[in-house]
Parts: sequence; C-alpha cells; structure tokens
Amino acid sequence: MSGPYRLDGGAIDRSRRLAFRFDGRRLTGYPGDTLASALLANGIRLVGRSFKYHRPRGIFTAGSEEPSALVELRSGAYREPNTRATVAELFDGLEAASQNHLGSLRHDLLAVNDLLAPFLSAGFYYKTFMWPKSFWERVYEPAIRASAGLGRLSGEPDPDRYDKGFLHCDLLIIGAGPAGLAAALAAGRSGARTIVADEDFVMGGRLNAETHEVDGGCGTTWAADAVRELASMEKVRLLPRTTVIGAFDHGIFGALERCTDHLAATAGKPRQILWRVYTKRAILCAGATERPIAFGGNDRPGVMLAGAVRTYATRFAVRAGQRVGLFTNNDDGWRTAVDLATKGVRVAAVIDVRDREPVAAVPDARVRMNSQVTATRGRHGLSGIVLATGERIALDCLAVSGGWNPNVHLTCHHGGRPVWREAIAAFVPGGRLPGGMAVAGAAAGAFTTADALVGGHRAAVAALGELGRPAAGGGPPVASDEATDVTAFWHVRDSRGRAWLDLQNDVTVKDVVQSHREGFRSVELLKRYTTLGMATDQGKTANVLALAIVAGQSGRTIAETGTTVFRPPYTPVPIAALAGRARGNDFRPVRLTPGHDWAERQGAVFVEAGMWLRAQWFPLPGESHWRQSVDREVLHTRGSVGICDVTTLGKIDIQGRDAAEFLNRIYANGFARLAVGKVRYGLMLREDGIAYDDGTTARLGDHHFVMTTTTANAVLVFRNMEFARQCLWPGLDVHLISVTEQWAQYAVAGPNSRRLLEKLVDPEYDISNAAFPFMACGEIRVCGGTPARLFRISFSGELAYEIAVAARYGEALMEALMAAGEEFDAVAYGTEALGVMRIEKGHAAGNELNGQTTARMLGLQRMVSKKKDCIGNTLSERPAMNREDGLELMGFTPLDHTEELTAGAHLLALGASAETANDEGWITSVAYSPALRSSVGLGFIKEGHARVGETVRAWDALQGKDVPVEIVSPHFYDPDGERLRV
Amino acid sequence: MIIDHPLLGPRDAAEFVYLGDASLIDRPDWQDEDAARQFHDYLHVRDNPAGEHRELWFHEHGDRSWLVVTRNTLTHEIIRVELARDVALSLGRGR
Amino acid sequence: MSDATLAARTPLDAYGRTIGTVTLAEVAGLALVSAAVPHDGDEAFAAALADGFGAVRPASGDSATGARPATRVLGMQPDQVFILFEAPDPDQAVPTAAAALGSAAYVTDQSDSWAVLRMSGTGVRVALERICPLDLDDLAFPEGRVARTVMEHLAVMILRDGPDSFLLMSPRSSARSFRHAVELSVENVSGP
Repeated sequence: MSGPYRLDGGAIDRSRRLAFRFDGRRLTGYPGDTLASALLANGIRLVGRSFKYHRPRGIFTAGSEEPSALVELRSGAYREPNTRATVAELFDGLEAASQNHLGSLRHDLLAVNDLLAPFLSAGFYYKTFMWPKSFWERVYEPAIRASAGLGRLSGEPDPDRYDKGFLHCDLLIIGAGPAGLAAALAAGRSGARTIVADEDFVMGGRLNAETHEVDGGCGTTWAADAVRELASMEKVRLLPRTTVIGAFDHGIFGALERCTDHLAATAGKPRQILWRVYTKRAILCAGATERPIAFGGNDRPGVMLAGAVRTYATRFAVRAGQRVGLFTNNDDGWRTAVDLATKGVRVAAVIDVRDREPVAAVPDARVRMNSQVTATRGRHGLSGIVLATGERIALDCLAVSGGWNPNVHLTCHHGGRPVWREAIAAFVPGGRLPGGMAVAGAAAGAFTTADALVGGHRAAVAALGELGRPAAGGGPPVASDEATDVTAFWHVRDSRGRAWLDLQNDVTVKDVVQSHREGFRSVELLKRYTTLGMATDQGKTANVLALAIVAGQSGRTIAETGTTVFRPPYTPVPIAALAGRARGNDFRPVRLTPGHDWAERQGAVFVEAGMWLRAQWFPLPGESHWRQSVDREVLHTRGSVGICDVTTLGKIDIQGRDAAEFLNRIYANGFARLAVGKVRYGLMLREDGIAYDDGTTARLGDHHFVMTTTTANAVLVFRNMEFARQCLWPGLDVHLISVTEQWAQYAVAGPNSRRLLEKLVDPEYDISNAAFPFMACGEIRVCGGTPARLFRISFSGELAYEIAVAARYGEALMEALMAAGEEFDAVAYGTEALGVMRIEKGHAAGNELNGQTTARMLGLQRMVSKKKDCIGNTLSERPAMNREDGLELMGFTPLDHTEELTAGAHLLALGASAETANDEGWITSVAYSPALRSSVGLGFIKEGHARVGETVRAWDALQGKDVPVEIVSPHFYDPDGERLRV
Repeated sequence: MIIDHPLLGPRDAAEFVYLGDASLIDRPDWQDEDAARQFHDYLHVRDNPAGEHRELWFHEHGDRSWLVVTRNTLTHEIIRVELARDVALSLGRGR
Repeated sequence: MSDATLAARTPLDAYGRTIGTVTLAEVAGLALVSAAVPHDGDEAFAAALADGFGAVRPASGDSATGARPATRVLGMQPDQVFILFEAPDPDQAVPTAAAALGSAAYVTDQSDSWAVLRMSGTGVRVALERICPLDLDDLAFPEGRVARTVMEHLAVMILRDGPDSFLLMSPRSSARSFRHAVELSVENVSGP
C-alpha cells in the first residue's frame, strides 16, 4: 500500500515508481496504472470541466467509454487534447493538464455558464443566435468558435510518425475478455491464422477487473496464461492497444494500434498504425458497457460507474473513495459492494431500486431496498447523497449501476439495427450482421463468465467449421454463472436538481423531455437537437438512457423507439493516423523524367503536372522575371533551335493483326491507311461526341503502332482502349502496353533542328527533308548505335522532331543534344514556352478540351469520318453540336498591344452589358507572343470565322479587366504551316 | 471491398476502377436506322436497381482485365465476377 | 556525327542498403519484355516459349523459370506475359526476345519502364505489411507467385523469388518515391 487511496494487490508493478504531473503537480504512480487510476490513487477527483456549463468533472469509468475525464497529454507540438485519462497508460514523465476552464480548474470563470443554464437548454443556439442578422458573422460566430471544443490543439505540425498497414487472417477476434480468449484458444489450437485485437494494454477484459474463477482458479491468472499460450503460437497474432474501429465490406476491418502512446518518446517509430485487416471470419467479443442511472446531481466528481469502481479496486488497487456507496438496479452492481468490502474499503450504503431481499451481505453498510437517490451534495466533488426518503448519507464516492449495454457497435456498421431484449433490459446484436461476423459473450448479451467462455469457444469452432478447418479437441473453459438479474430502471423521477445523461455535452433528462415536447420525436432528430451522444464518446454511457426516457415520453416501448445509427469509428481516430505517411512531400508520389536531374542542374523551375514534375522554364543569370526566360526560350527556338523534354506524354504500344482497324475505331479520323513510317495527328471523342484527347500515332510496322496521348489523359486513354479491346471488339487481334516509362522523349524544334540532329543521328540514316519529310517516323540509331525513334512532328510550328531513346539513356541524350546544339545557340525550353508556341500556332490543349468541346468548335469537323464506325461519331452528328451559329475556336488580340488578356474572360459585343444573355464565348488560353509582341489569346466565340476583324470585349470580372479585342485566326504564327515543312 | 477476380482470386477494390452499368458492353450498331436514338439510350438510360446490379470494373492495378461484377447494391454482396471479355463474346460481340 | 556515346543510368543508381534484417538492392542488368499472345495463338506461343526460353507459359499470377540465365516468365495478364532474362547488351532485349519467339508473340521492351528492387531478409514480410495489400503468407503467396498491385499509390509488380526474398518492380519515373516508401516501411519495423 502507498497512501490512503492504494489497496493491496492489483496488477500494478510496485517495484518501480513513475513520476508524472497533472496541472503542474508532481505525482507518482506505478507501471500498470492508467492516468485515471494514478489520479484516483493520489486522491484527485476533479479532473476537468464540462463542455457547455463548465461543471466540475471527475473520472466516471475505467475504459474507452469515458465521457468525462478528458485531459491534454504531453506538451509543445506533442500536445494532444481530449485524451481519455481512463485509457492513457501511465509512463515516467507524463505531463497531463485539465482542460476547458478559464482560470484554474477549481475556480473556472466560465462556470458562470452554469448559472445561465435556464437559457442554454436544448437547441438554445437555434433559438438564440437568430437575430439580428448582422450579428451572425460579427458576434455569434466568433463567440461560438471561441467556446467550441474542449482541449487546445498545439497549433504546430504533429511531429510524430504514423503508419498504415495490411493484415490478413482466417479469424479476427475483437476483444480479449473471457469470450475473446476462449475463442482465440480454440482458433489458435486448431492452427488457424488468428488475430486477437484488444483496446487495452493488458488482455483479459473483465477477468482483470473481477474476482471470478475460471477452470477452478483465479480468472486473472487464467487470462494471463491464455495470453501466454496464444503468444507462443506461430499463427496467432496478438494486438494489444489496438481498437477495431469499424467493420467494412467483405470482411475488412479497420484497427488502430497505439504503438508508442505508452512511452515517453517514440524513438522515431510510428506512434500509431491504422491497420486494414482482411478476414475470412470475425468474432466480436467486445463486451458490454455499464450504464448509469439518471438522478439529481449525478454528474458530480465521485459519482462513478459501479463496474469502474470495482476495476480500480481489483486491477489497479485503488479505492475510488474513502466512504463508498452503491446505487443499483441489478445484481451485478452488488459485486462492487462485496468486492470493495472484501478489500477493506468502507462501503457505507447500498441503495437498490428493486423491492426484494438484499442480494448479498455487506458488512456495516446501510442497505436500502426499494429506494432511490434523489440528489447529491458537494461542490468540486461528492460529499453526500440524499435518498427519496430524505435520508442523507455522507459519501465521497457513489458507484452507480443501471445495467450493462452490449457493445453492439460493430454489428451495426452495415446497416443492421440492434434488437431490444427485455430480460437483460438492453439492446443486443440483431438484424443483418456484417458478413462473416459472429458475436459472443457480453457483446451478445451473455453476461456471465461461464456464458462468455462457452459462447466464445463455440463461435470459434463454428467459424472454423465454416472455413473447413476442424477444431482441436477440448471444450471451453469452465466457470460458474454469476447473478445478473436486472430490473429496468432509468431515471429517478423525484430527482432534485438536474439529472444528467450526457456528461460530456451536458445534456440532462429535462433537455430530452423538452426536445420531445418541441416535436423532435425521432431519436435521430433528438440526438442532433440536444447534441446527446454527439461528443467524442458518442454517448456510450448516455444513449440507451436517453432512448428509455424518450420512450417513456412517447408511450412507446424502447424497442419501438429504436437507436440512432452506429457508425465507424468505434472510438476517436486521430486525423494524423488517417493521413498516415501522406504528409508534406510524402502526400503523393513524384514522377520524374530521365532528364530531370539535368534540368535541375540547369536551375530549372518545375511545375507539377499531375504527379509529374516538369521543367517550366530555365532561368539564366540576370533574368529576374519568368517572362524574360520564356520569351528568350521562344525566340531562340523560333530563331534557331530549342529542346523540350516531352517524356511525360502518354505512350502506348499497340500491336496486332487488327491494330490499324482498332485505331480506326478509337480515333475520330481515319488510321486504317496510314503508311508504315508515317505519323498522323488523331482526335479522340467520347462516345457522346465530345472531344477528349488528341495526340499523334506512328506506324512502325504493319501490325505495330505507337500512340502518344496528352500527359493528363494517359491513364484514361489506356483504360478506354482496354475497354474497347476487351468489351466492344473482343474479336480484334490487338494488344496494348504502356511504354510511357520506357522512352525518354525530347522535342527538337526550330529551323536548325535538323542540322542539330544530323550531328547525333548515325550516318546510315538520312533525315533530309526528302528522305524524312514532315510526319515521317522511323527507328534509327544515334550516337554510335543506340536505338532511337525519330518522329517528324511539330507542336511549335517550326521544323521539328521528337526523338526518343530508352529511358536509361534519357539524361545522356539531353546532354548530347545540348552539346551538339551549342554551335546553334540551342536552348532548353520548358512547358511555358511550349505553351506560348502552341497558342501562337492555334493548337488546342487542355484548356480548350474542357469536356464541352466538339470537333466543330475546334475547326476539326472535317476530320470526323462519317464513313466508318468510331467511338463518338454517331452522337457527334447531333444537330445541336453542329449549329452554324455555334462556338468556334478563334484567336484574339487586344487592340492596344500593351494590354494583357486573361484566360476565363467572357466575350461580349461592344456596348453589350455584362450579363449571361449577352455572353458570346470565352477566352481559353493566353500568352505573350514574342513573335507578335502582343498578348494573344485563344477562345471560343459564336460564329467566329465569319467575324474575323470584328472587335468585341474580353470582360473578366474576377481580374477587373475589360479589354477590347479583335477576332483573328487562331493561327497567329505561320498560318500556312510553311516553316514546319522545310 | 473485395472483388473475387476469376483468375487471380480475392483482391482489394483499391486495385480496381469502376465504370458503370455492364450494359455499356452492348454498344449499338452505328449503321442502324435509329442509331442516334440507340446510342442515346446506350449512353444515358440506366436502370437503378435496389438489388442485383451488373457493373464494369477495371483491374487497373492488376491484370488489366475488365470485369463484370454482379453486386447487390443494398448489401454490397458480390454474387458473381466474370471476365468482361467472356461476357462480350457470349453476347455475340466479336470484330 | 557525334562521337559521344550515350551512357546508361539505372532508375535507382545501383542503390543498396541493409536496414535491420532487410536488405534492399536495385537489380540491374536484366532485360524485361512483354510478350502478348496473338488471338488463337496460344499453342504456337507455348511452343515458342519452350523453344526460345525453355519455359512453360505460367497462368496469370504465376511465374515460370526458364533455360536461359535468370529467365523468369511472369503471368501478368490473360493474353500477356512478362519475360525477365539476363541481357549482356540491354539494347538487344527486344531483338533477342523477338528472335526467340518469332511471330508467336508481340514483343515490347519494358526493361527501362520499371525500377527493380530486391527486398530480402528475415523481416521482409513484416516490412511489406506496411505497404503491400496482398496476403504474402506462405500458402497464399508461395515462391514463384507474382502479382501486380498498388503500394503507396504506386503500381508495383511483386514476385516472390525466395522464402524471404521478393522482387519489386515499380514505374521508373516514380522510382525515388517508391524507394522511399519501401525504405520507410523497413525502418518502421526495424529496431532503433
């Protein structure tokens, strides 16, 4: 023993003391303690303040259902608010602080709210914060935000690591109490792959908190032996400190493992792991949660659940008070009085609402049958109770038991609803359970140890049988049946003072009655109106009590009233655990081209394009604005030669006897007669006739093509082509494989591009204009034998090529190109210059292909073949998509060439007011054209081609611009395409 | 969710991409007289059953098979999984 | 003509590292080609595979070893296998495979598409639990099994090529992210 609150025995290690602090006070406890047990052992009962009224709050339970004892743990960036002291494992150096008070915990200035309680009843904020409207954002919102939440966030990034993972098993056993351990032993001994998950740090469940016997010996010892045996089994995995948070489809469960929360430091290892557990069968052995009885002043620190008081005494060797009373409606509650008295704790009173003989003898206790507690006394903690008879009894702890609620939560995650079982006055699993799930023990409403052991064993044997696995010999462990008789009793009608239901959200019996009176009859509405069960504990101790009170109000039974829906997670999961590793730079993978490191060495500025990083421009010393770099890259390319990394384009290898026919059906334009050694531009439509992607496809052989897609649509195009191949035309012999990653590809553009390439291409390959004209392609060799592919295609409008080599040579080829280009003053150009040049040429890109664009809008209507079947051609012929007065892709230049155009600007007739009715189109892409020395834009405008030369307004309310622009051809630069054919 | 791939066994739905109703296999003939009407229905008209639904899933992070999955939309139970190619062939689709 | 020849670079620059009991090592020098089987060409393909590589065609999800050095045929798709083999000259991957298989398959070079990482050691499966959704138990995923799946948002082909050895292949462009994800998984399960 140590101190007036420690008892003998218990599962704590007295060989070592742990120092910790609570609100700055230095305290000690033992390994095996929770923060709650250690606080109680130090005589501390007041640990926090309630959410709304700032009422004093103490420790109410000994488990994860705790509504009341919420504290902040740790400090600095590691601070974690709203942690349940009842599940926080004590470690040396733990720092904890009470929360939700202004000033000290004992003298919380916001306790004034409690005096305003008559004005703050259910739904008060719906009624109060309505008028005046001008107060909504200026007064009410800041005030509500200031009072919201309980503990304080650190405001700093969480410094801990979190991980995720995947586990697989035949059988998942959720909960390691008597039912779970019996099930695990049966499963483990049969050799089945078994996972046992338990939220506690010591497995055994109630066996660790009770004085039950199993197999003729101490139940706690039996549990420890069982855990030891299971730990020795190769196919059994024990996951203590792991909460199964949800049951998902097809036998998948979510589980949160707290790896280092019980340690002072993580040593760089993940603090928590969010497991996805794949199971063939699962047995829910989650036990039951005790519920209180509502009576006047039942929220005072010192009023606790009876089972918890017993747990603190038996497992933690802590007396929750010096004079303990019991208020119960069931036999199980009496165990608290008996167990405490046996341990020498002074049990001053036993009050049982039932009119019957006392269940057991409790020495020196005032036993009052057919009696009720109507009020409590005390300020920061309980000092006494008042019975209906007026009798006053001095107590500093009142153990309350209103019966036990099976933990049915996970059985309801697929829409199943629990059913009411009158005999135990509780909801039990019912309806449609998640597939493969069975329930055993107290979670199934089997409240005795014997029933739990037998139920767990049988459930495991049945599950193994379903998996075709014979169970090992041996029956279930043996225990006796304890008395569990219960008479439903919810609320002391003659209570004086407020009777509390939800201790965290401060919901009283009166609030529930009032909301029912105001018409919130459905329990789902009642929940949201009163906020009952909406706090972090999700009403684990409050909900059933409230349902019973609603049922009493409406004259319906509890079964008819029903429950609210149980949803994952079972207990709170930190957002950081859900995020796992996906933080900062690890949010998603990064894709780099083979030329990336080269570009980085040149000081390139990169832009994200999906997961790719692409060089956006290459600033030179002295260039202080991106436009200087981009203008230079464009002018050098157009004046001599530029090189751009286009590796990110999607590339698909297409082979087969029917490859040409297949492409003919994929593209809107014809590909059947494309000659070997030629490339063709292709436009892809969706089946509804809208353009969605474009690119070039080269024919490398009779049965061999290589397609390029846009960077953004590479995955989608591949998927759609696989759909066409497998589902639409499974008889065609055609095969697809992505080669995006295989080839490093560079555009070499500009009047000197051929001269540059001729320096690298092996001499046996003739790439003169005659031998290798515009739109030619071929497999060549470069730099003394390295295989390459050369395509004479141009996105820039210049004489241009794209050259591809295997990715391993990508960086070397870039270096070789730049070295060979030195004599031509070659530049590397990035995506900005690429964009400028394609806008100057009037090529459509992502901004134009926005999911509403038809081939006609792009001026490509003649490409859509009407002589063949292809995806999208039938519906592309719909009249509304081919209106003569429809939108057409045009170019736009500001009348004043010093003005800048903006993408997204709407096009309006001169003098027309800016309203939807006058909208004639919009600007899609803009750039500064160094060639034209003007801002230029592409955009869609009604009947554009007939209106060349007309002036309209480019009106952009977002940017505050209104620019007169002239409608011009979209081909600003070299409209006849002479430069690319030289 | 788990999809029991006919060739590979049970695989997590995270490996798959969903498309929609399996009737998308039944693409109309472009040369039919009322092809426009048929394509309209093919593309836009769907049953929305509360119960068994045949739908297309693509094993994008797997073997690149398109699958026809028969799934109960009320219970999420997956009743049958077939290779879409086999389904297409059985419907008479070929070249 | 330039006198420069092009130097090759592997996706992970010959990366290798041992963390705890797990060793990570880039595998270079292997050719990887995909071979798609023409319609109605299953018999011809099986014969060509036996002739050219000394291997039987594996079912999807299985692999087969062959007579050529380090040959492993991976059943990746209903009508497609991947063939790993030792290639002294990587530029000859496709010509070699094409010569071996003739017209019985459509061959595409994949040698540069994937970063290849061998992960081996006694702790390898515990580390893989943190990123691999597949069940890698001895019965579910014995030696020789292969699968394409997704790890940390990345496509990965995983081949079990030993009791405690796996070959992981993930797209080249994201190889560094992949290496990081694998490293982190091993670090997270290894002692301090």
